[in-house]
Amino acid sequence: MSKKKNRNPKRASEWEIGFRRALHLKLPTRNSDIPTFEFAGTKVGHYFSRVIVECFEEHFRINTLNTTARWDLLCYQHYSTDERRLSWLPDHLSRDNETKMNRKRDKGFESPRPFKLTHQVVCINNINFQRKSVIGYVELTILPTVANLNRIKLNSKQCRIYRVRINDLEAPFIYNDPTLEVCHSDSKQRNLNYFSSAYTAAVSAVDPDAGHGELVIKVPSELWKQGDDSHLLKVYIEFSLDQPKGGLHFVIHDVEGSLAERGAHVFSFGHHNSTRFWFPCVDSYSELCTWKLEFTIDSAMVAVSCGDLVETIYTHDMRKKTFHYVLPIPTAAPNISLAVGPFEILVDPYMHEVTHFCLPQLLPLLKHSMSYLHEIFEFYEEILTCRYPYSCFKTVFVDESYVQVSSYASMSIFSTNLLHSAMIIDQTPLTRRCLAQALAQQFFGCFISRMSWADEWVLKGISGYIFGLYLKKTFGVNEYRHWIKKELDKIVEYELKMGGVLLHPTFSGGKEKDNQTPHLHFSLKHPHTLSWEYYKMFQCKAHLVMRLIENRISMEFMLQVFNKLLSLASTASSQRYQSHMWSQMLLSTHAFLKSISNVSGKDISPLIKQWVDQSAVVKFYGSFVFNRKRNVLELEIRQDYTSSGTQKYVGPIKVTVQELDGSFNHTLQIEESSLKHDIPCHSKSRRNKKKKIPLMNGEEVDMDLSAMDADSPLLWIRIDPDMSILRKVELEQADFMWQYQLRYERDVVAQEEAISALETFPTPASRLALTDILEQEQCFYEVRMQACFCLAKIANAMVSTWQGPPAMKSLFTRMFCCKSCPNIVKTNNFINFQSYFLQKTMPVAMALLRDVQNLCPKDVLNFILDLIKYNDNRKNKFSDNYYRADLLEALTNSLTPAISINNETRTVDNLNADVRLILEEITRFLNMEKLLPSYRSTITISCLKAIRQLQKNGHIPSEASLFRSYAEYGHFVDVRVAALEALVDYTRVEKSSVELQWLLNLVQNDPAPYVRHKILAMLCKNPPFTKTTESTICNEALVDQLWKLMNSGTSHDWRLRCDAVNLYYTLFGLTRPSCLPLPELGLVLNLKEKKAVLNPTIKPELMVGAVIDTPASIGIHGVGLNYPPEEEEPDPISLGVCGVGQPPQGIKRKAETQLGSPPEPGQAVQHQDDDGRVGRYKIRFNMEDEDIDMETVHDSQAFIHHHLNLLERPSTPGKEPAFIEQSTLSMPATPLPSLSKDTLSLPLKHRGEHGHHHHEHKKKKKKKHKHKHKHKHENKDRERGNWHPYSNSPVSGKSLHSPSLSE
Amino acid sequence: MADPAVATGASLAVGGRAGGNKAANSPVENYQLARRRTLQVVVSALLTECGFDCAEKAAVETLTEMMQSSRSVPTLSDTVVTLIEMGFNVDTLPIYAKRSQRMVITAPPVTNHPMTPKALSAGQKRTHPPHIPGHYPEFPDPHTYIKTPTFREPVSDYQVVREKAATQRRDVERALTRFMAKTSKTQSLFKDDIATFPLIAAQPSAVPYLGALLPSELELQTLEETDSSEQDDQTDGDNAAGNVMNDDPVVDKENAMLPPGGAIMSTKGSEDNVIDNPYLRPVKKPKVKRKK
Repeated sequence: MSKKKNRNPKRASEWEIGFRRALHLKLPTRNSDIPTFEFAGTKVGHYFSRVIVECFEEHFRINTLNTTARWDLLCYQHYSTDERRLSWLPDHLSRDNETKMNRKRDKGFESPRPFKLTHQVVCINNINFQRKSVIGYVELTILPTVANLNRIKLNSKQCRIYRVRINDLEAPFIYNDPTLEVCHSDSKQRNLNYFSSAYTAAVSAVDPDAGHGELVIKVPSELWKQGDDSHLLKVYIEFSLDQPKGGLHFVIHDVEGSLAERGAHVFSFGHHNSTRFWFPCVDSYSELCTWKLEFTIDSAMVAVSCGDLVETIYTHDMRKKTFHYVLPIPTAAPNISLAVGPFEILVDPYMHEVTHFCLPQLLPLLKHSMSYLHEIFEFYEEILTCRYPYSCFKTVFVDESYVQVSSYASMSIFSTNLLHSAMIIDQTPLTRRCLAQALAQQFFGCFISRMSWADEWVLKGISGYIFGLYLKKTFGVNEYRHWIKKELDKIVEYELKMGGVLLHPTFSGGKEKDNQTPHLHFSLKHPHTLSWEYYKMFQCKAHLVMRLIENRISMEFMLQVFNKLLSLASTASSQRYQSHMWSQMLLSTHAFLKSISNVSGKDISPLIKQWVDQSAVVKFYGSFVFNRKRNVLELEIRQDYTSSGTQKYVGPIKVTVQELDGSFNHTLQIEESSLKHDIPCHSKSRRNKKKKIPLMNGEEVDMDLSAMDADSPLLWIRIDPDMSILRKVELEQADFMWQYQLRYERDVVAQEEAISALETFPTPASRLALTDILEQEQCFYEVRMQACFCLAKIANAMVSTWQGPPAMKSLFTRMFCCKSCPNIVKTNNFINFQSYFLQKTMPVAMALLRDVQNLCPKDVLNFILDLIKYNDNRKNKFSDNYYRADLLEALTNSLTPAISINNETRTVDNLNADVRLILEEITRFLNMEKLLPSYRSTITISCLKAIRQLQKNGHIPSEASLFRSYAEYGHFVDVRVAALEALVDYTRVEKSSVELQWLLNLVQNDPAPYVRHKILAMLCKNPPFTKTTESTICNEALVDQLWKLMNSGTSHDWRLRCDAVNLYYTLFGLTRPSCLPLPELGLVLNLKEKKAVLNPTIKPELMVGAVIDTPASIGIHGVGLNYPPEEEEPDPISLGVCGVGQPPQGIKRKAETQLGSPPEPGQAVQHQDDDGRVGRYKIRFNMEDEDIDMETVHDSQAFIHHHLNLLERPSTPGKEPAFIEQSTLSMPATPLPSLSKDTLSLPLKHRGEHGHHHHEHKKKKKKKHKHKHKHKHENKDRERGNWHPYSNSPVSGKSLHSPSLSE
Repeated sequence: MADPAVATGASLAVGGRAGGNKAANSPVENYQLARRRTLQVVVSALLTECGFDCAEKAAVETLTEMMQSSRSVPTLSDTVVTLIEMGFNVDTLPIYAKRSQRMVITAPPVTNHPMTPKALSAGQKRTHPPHIPGHYPEFPDPHTYIKTPTFREPVSDYQVVREKAATQRRDVERALTRFMAKTSKTQSLFKDDIATFPLIAAQPSAVPYLGALLPSELELQTLEETDSSEQDDQTDGDNAAGNVMNDDPVVDKENAMLPPGGAIMSTKGSEDNVIDNPYLRPVKKPKVKRKK
């Protein structure tokens, strides 16, 4: 991205690029025989030449060539402006080398697929906003990498697929999505261990990173070619999407006017690999290809998508237009996105390649919010010494966004709520942060993609790290360090509470994998099984670890590594016709670490081992004694590495000691055995002498040393001041030391640590130190804000001895009130942001003060009421909405529980006088909001919180209806969330199952995905009950309802399903919920002997699928076929069924039973109302249930895997038994399943399938003949009829397979 | 003397004497001149009727003036004006009137005036100044002519000002919200008492983000007041950008909603003011050939 002017042109020539790159890659010498060379008439030094060779070697991995050949290549590359001309060389050289490399390096990229995707066309012909439907086709150009490519697995969810053609030949396909319903509905298992393993297996079964997919296409035999791998296949898929619940989100507001006038828009969303929700693709971050995207939409709208907009053409009727996008940079499907709507367009005034889009009427806000984006661009390009990789960048601001920021190739989708006007203070830094995050992810995440899920941490880490550098530059070092501390505290708190967060999980052995994280109720194997909170913490830890690496190797080297990675990727990306080179754009942990060791020459493996390969944080306890005789500080550092979420640390640790003579750093070695460290002191105690004391930063200050210990020269001690360990430090220091640290240590982190330590020392000295900090203008505002709250706590602890006016009151008066009349606040002027934040915070903290009766002092309450009364914003340049909201929060904080006399009901008459005043204010504020709404409805939110607090404290009757009305769809999202939070709280306090039902209903039906997610997250945070508490609302119906929610109700949104799992975990724990009746013995079955003993009380049942209760069913579903499992008794009828690809209806139908209507507990066997299948028995594995309950997860997983592999092979329809071997051979990534006696039934099944398939094939041929012309959609209905088996399969969102999706 | 019809018509006219001297150019003046001329004719005719053979111009003028002001009896000002027109110096008249040794005309026989009931008497009635004979009507009540200041002394005490502003605003807000609450649906925090703390019911809005994000009109007003200069710059830029591309009518519709980009460009000058952004390019017409 270049700003048109006043920016140095960064890519003058390829030559210059080489030069720049060379300057930034100080690689160690490997060959000393490299001659100096002349480039473009310039004599180039030895060093430079060497560097280029290194660079080149790294790129092509050519280690076998002699120097001359290397030079030829090199010259060619750097002389040539057209990089494509180089293609003759690496084509034959690198191919060999790459395979060699793959063999040599165990972690090199190996595609899990028997083909390579090179190009994909996505064409969406019609987007119907009324019906919320999309019609289109995709065409994937693939290059088989094996002989006899006979089936192609692609990802597709939700889409209804009409036809698949390969090179103009109709191809049969099968669609199965095992994640639609994880466990089968008649299961009575209900334990989370079982669910988690089943869910993981289901996700694995369609995991594109393992080469799997929901859509299996059989390649027509005509196209099987022998050994000729230049043979390209074009896979053409027509699809449609009807009322998608995931992947694409339609926002249509209910107002007058045309769709464009109403601001109707649609955009793609999702959490990791969610592109499959809106078009068939290889939904993997490691499968890159070039793209052509076409969208035909209403002419009043704009379609924004990835890549360059080549042209826009009207359709013949001029009512629509088609946007043609081309993305020449190889990109993974999950990085493709789309946003369509009547957007207002803003071309960035500084960078014309950057275009911003927002919804109608918001253009002025967009202009203001985007006015600094170019600075972020410049910053990143400068530190990375690399131009923005794409030729353009687009930002789209949409309503009801899934997350605040989501980055895709060359575009980012933001929440429209990030936009703000120049009057808003608080939102501005937040929005800038979001923009900076999005842009950082453009480089690492979109342009450079991850090789596998295990490498995710590298990308998240790098993007988070460079975002941190931006923060440091823009907001200053204080803000940066404060942020790092906050992030560190967050991850430490999470890990200590919930257990470790593992950055780089390895999934090598089947047994090992779960041992890494036995504390988790979900699997780390996929991003789709993680809890959202865990994933957030994962990102947080990733960037902290990057910072640790920086500490180790220096920032300079760090940036060189990034530059190197980007350079490699951009070279690879320009190899348009060399798709095998594209894997250079994928980043793996291994490649990253190698790059680090190449660039820095340092070994960081201990660091990686400690923080990346291992989870958990370190917990230090420090205490010390000063030995006067030896003048030595005896520091003892103990560790807690036994409790959950902690690990042992061995290695260096920095300790900073501030003495009278100055500040001294000591590096101690933490070892296994020794706890005590002797640190010699430099200064003698000398309290008599008046002398300035030098600080760490060279500053010399006068201190009042009267408080300190006369014998010791120690002022304060800090353990690990640079936060170079992910740790929690609890250091025992005397209160005066903390006070000195707070007053005189210049590091904000130290000041914050001192403040939190002082909470436990409620003394007048602490009070004075805090007040001094509060008054100090130079002090960082976050520290001062924190001091406010600490002061409130100290004041409460000192309540009996507290002298003078309430804490902070006189200070506030001095700072913000009129000189002449101290009870009146000055008219607002927020030009100084630091004092603005202080002005906002002090009343909030003040309201936390309590007197001897544990009530908020009358003074304070009146003072706050006066602040509200005299608030005058007429002369202010900025909006005071956040300030007023905080004043309301202060009122809320002042509330204390009502004194209730014999449980009288609350009425207006018996209202406390103070509460009446507060209520007056709330009423007026809330009503004024209706007339003059504040930015982001901050005041409404504060009012709702205040009302809930009043209810909770028993001042007004506890009522949910008000919150319900604010929680409805149609309110601003922040208001809804605040109201929902109140409802969640209400549900817990009042134990209201009605409200819980209402909330759960919203989880299933609310139009906004974010709100659905948020409700579950809030329920987890503030659960109505937990596994340890008894509750009346905990009953079997609820268990069933939640089970259904996570089992099938949330299949359209990975994140939501994980939220549901989390809630289930919070409420019931890992094991079977205690409120369920004991499972009864229905039938005892012995799998091995294929014998079932029927419980005599149970009636026979008409039912197809038998062994549904066992994990085997997961395996069956994971395979991608729709026949029922028939291990025990192959049945001709059901085999017939399976060949057709019809879902086993007996099983599926059951899932359609209403949520919340649980099967009767006593009903062991249910009669099926299904078509008259022969009497079969539903067999319940109660014994098995118990077994699985007791066994560990990986046991059951191993079991699943066994079955999975077992059923892997038949999933291709119509293949010959002989072919099985071929296919398995062709896929080395898939382990050969062990043939057990259970597989004996397989050939039989194949026969059934096969026969049927041929039947289908004939039908299809006839069909094709009929419709040879290019009828695309006219005949789709007829085709659907003919293609009954497939089109009626779960491909259609409303198939029998997906009870959750039907209505 | 005056024809009532004329008199009423004359009352409508507002004209000065000077009007006659200048060449009239506006229709209003034209009308007044014409009217005055007619009045003069009327006056002359009346005089002839009364038996005058000739009249001085000043007399006719005065009569005309009186007629125009719809008076039948001359007033003091008429006399003064006439005297001036006749060339007398009137400045000495007041002095003459106040001379000390003047003859006092005895009071005319007083007929009993109906006494107006003394309904309202405020303050002390002024007595006549010495030069005014006592039989002249009394001064009216002082309240009819005494000027009383309509405002109090401005309160300069800051505290009171703030207090007042705050109370006033609060009262206005409370009254307004109460009114709104009375006229629309409400919610209440108490089941038994809906009136004490009426809350305007939460109404879902069709486009919730607009209300929440856009600054309210009140805020916009203050924004404009505080930095209007900044705003001006912005609009300048917008106009410039708007002017850049106007050639294609099809594009125009597209570009109607993009005032953007140009802000910088326009300041830079004209050499490169074409932004090459694909979203600004015109939409192409479909190729007819390709049509099946």
